[in-house]
Amino acid sequence: MAGPLAPERTPDTTVDEESDLDRPWVTIVWNDPVNLMNYVTFVLQELFGYDEPTATTLMLQVHHEGKAIVSSGPRERMEHDTSRLHAYGLWASFQRDS
Amino acid sequence: MRGFRAKGGSVVARLDGAEAGIVGLLLDQLEQLLTADAGDVADDPVLARLLPEGHRGDPALAADYRDLTESALRSGKSDDLATMRATLPPDGGEVRLDLDQAGSWLRTTNDLRLALGTRLDISEDTEPPEDFTDERDHQLGVYYWLTAVQGSLVDALVDARAGRR
Repeated sequence: MAGPLAPERTPDTTVDEESDLDRPWVTIVWNDPVNLMNYVTFVLQELFGYDEPTATTLMLQVHHEGKAIVSSGPRERMEHDTSRLHAYGLWASFQRDS
Repeated sequence: MRGFRAKGGSVVARLDGAEAGIVGLLLDQLEQLLTADAGDVADDPVLARLLPEGHRGDPALAADYRDLTESALRSGKSDDLATMRATLPPDGGEVRLDLDQAGSWLRTTNDLRLALGTRLDISEDTEPPEDFTDERDHQLGVYYWLTAVQGSLVDALVDARAGRR
């Protein structure tokens, strides 16, 4: 969980029956040694509309803790967010929130 | 090289002839990689980094994701690459990009760095080479040169969007 930074948690209306409504899916950005810090901040602003301080906080979380949740919601949207991050070369994946 | 700077609604840099030549070769290599047959991803660490797994730990979800997104991801990267090639002065000179073209340069220079960084096994502790004694030093030199280009492009885009010049 990204605490107060977890953005746009919306009710999931498309879950299948084994899904738990209290556990949405999340998109995670993982740390990697190539992507530049200013680039990651820029991409998070560009793709998710975060303001600069929020994007910087998430970037630093990726850098220091190895990963950060950058969005949460229905699986289809998390797949879409993951692919948008992959288009920018960020190391991203989606999973059910744990 | 003079790194990117915001200028009005554009970003502008200058490459010398040798630099433009190296970029052109790297674009050729990346293009070959991206147009290789689908199914090669698992066998090639560079391709695996450019087209990563969408889900870790569940092969079925990862395969679904790949079916859903890989073709668009490849074609987007190829389009960006084509834009960068079309706006690269082949013998060096000024590079002037509108913001859409700059986005293509941003993503493609990142892909070039990911490809080189994966081949060179770059880690957080890797340092720029002090001497150029072997092939790895030269490739590391190219990697860090691309890093400077891309870093300046990010800063220039931030300035351009904020209306600073």
